[in-house]
Amino acid sequence: MNENRRQILEMLAAGKITTDEAERLLAAIEPGTVTVSELKGSVGGGDAKATTVKTCCKYLRVLVEADESMTGMKGPTTVNVRVPMQLLRAGVRLASLIPQQAHGHLDEALNRHGVPLTLSQIKPENLEELIDHLEDLTVDVNGKEGNAATKVRVFCE
Amino acid sequence: MIPSIAVLRVENTRWRSPQLWIPLFLLWIPVLLISPLIFLVLLGLSLANGISPWRVFRIFWDIVSGLPGTHVHVRADGNTVQVRVL
Repeated sequence: MNENRRQILEMLAAGKITTDEAERLLAAIEPGTVTVSELKGSVGGGDAKATTVKTCCKYLRVLVEADESMTGMKGPTTVNVRVPMQLLRAGVRLASLIPQQAHGHLDEALNRHGVPLTLSQIKPENLEELIDHLEDLTVDVNGKEGNAATKVRVFCE
Repeated sequence: MIPSIAVLRVENTRWRSPQLWIPLFLLWIPVLLISPLIFLVLLGLSLANGISPWRVFRIFWDIVSGLPGTHVHVRADGNTVQVRVL
């Protein structure tokens, strides 16, 4: 039996957590998630609510593979990028340094290039939430029948 | 954690460079030497735009300390560029 599951069942048997909490913990315990010792703090006593447990992803990965027919270039094209989430968060906060006076010009430039974005309406907390939800993002694109060698994958690890 | 080493490799159809280990930690010495100037410039720019200078420093520090772990590997048209920041 998985060690984490055993610990959860032992806590339930000892009365340290309720049945509902044990059920939520068992649902949260899957490969790659936090250990039970880290969960114990979030469960606590009888009135504590079990919070949703998410893996703390450290990197955003972007993998692109395309063959010659797709790119028109000689040989296959491969892009493999790994960006730390901390860097992404810091980069997002960098946008908040843009002076208000420049927002109008930037919005206009973005709209001209087909990006309908209004910088003044973006708040740092929204961006932080977006980064947090990136952990749930997985994009898997495979080429159509004629382009089986074309793949795009975006995920967090 | 500040970036200490960058590993760079470039290759094309005709030649291939060895893996270059660039000691980024040595860059901190000149940065420290000109840090008063950098500090004044950033302070002036941030105050001129009504932004807290400490927020500016913190964000730039977060960017620098977030660099370790970055890997970029691009291969296109017979050319390959690989950069790793450790």
